[in-house]
Amino acid sequence: MKEKEKKFAFQGTYFLLLVLAAYISLFFFNSNMSLHALQKSGHILLKVLPIFMVVIIFTALLNYVLQPKQIVKHLGEKSGARGWLVALFAGIISHGPMYAWYPLIKDLRSQGLRDGLIVVFFYARAIKLPLLPLMLDYFGTGFTLVLSVYILIGALLQGWIFEQLARKQGESIGDRPRFMW
Amino acid sequence: MNKQKSINEKQQKKPSLLQALKKSAFAFWAMTPLLIGVIGLVGLFQALVTPRMLSSLFRGNAVIDTLIGTFAGAAASGNPVVSYLLGGELLAQGISLNAVSAFILSWVTLGFVHLPVEAEALGFSFTLYRNILAFVFTVIIAVLTSFTVQALG
Repeated sequence: MKEKEKKFAFQGTYFLLLVLAAYISLFFFNSNMSLHALQKSGHILLKVLPIFMVVIIFTALLNYVLQPKQIVKHLGEKSGARGWLVALFAGIISHGPMYAWYPLIKDLRSQGLRDGLIVVFFYARAIKLPLLPLMLDYFGTGFTLVLSVYILIGALLQGWIFEQLARKQGESIGDRPRFMW
Repeated sequence: MNKQKSINEKQQKKPSLLQALKKSAFAFWAMTPLLIGVIGLVGLFQALVTPRMLSSLFRGNAVIDTLIGTFAGAAASGNPVVSYLLGGELLAQGISLNAVSAFILSWVTLGFVHLPVEAEALGFSFTLYRNILAFVFTVIIAVLTSFTVQALG
């Protein structure tokens, strides 16, 4: 338990300090703009909070239902076609901003989630199911259909190319986090 | 007897739902400075870069505009609805379908503002390669979509 407590460390504290410094600097140049930005951030935070809750609960449920061995089986190196389809489907139905999903992806990755599937998941998110009616209205059926099909094909191709590149580079692309702020 | 023992061991190893929830919340808590930082950056960006500024970037050249669309979409952040509204306006202004497709696609698949968080969570080289691939594919998909839609009439 003590070991776990020792290992705990906040991530991105320097990054947060940099953003704070940017706000403070802006405040001296244009206080109204700085407050406006702060207000926007507050709105975003309020909108994103429920999604964060969903991600926390979803991560917990996945950890509860699936053991690491099962995650490797369904989403690992030997997951096969089912793994790619799960990644595509998860990308399409996932909601909210991309960064809200990083903690879940990071957790699953530490348990064996294949990197190519993460690439597929992130690109498939370009299809926004709740916004499809709006896209149809603005750009028409043909455009929406063609774009959606190309997004799905493009997502799978990117996942495949990513894994080929990783293999060529001796898996160095799929590194573990080392870019510390 | 042995079977029962192994079943019991398995059951002991499996975390309870509460333990899993605590672990998940703990992992999320560790990333809060990073997430709050990126939300702050998105807010700052939305306040400083207006939709009008973004639409003024386009020049009317289909090839250059496709690249501008990809960069502008990647640099912008916010609800994808805004990208559709802006995309519709750009089309009405005569900006090419290539550029508008690239713009609305990169809005959701690329994000310069998210890069530090993605690099911190998933590694620098992973982030670099994923984003380069996404950038290239956004341009290709935008061109192919425009071409296919025009070919289909």
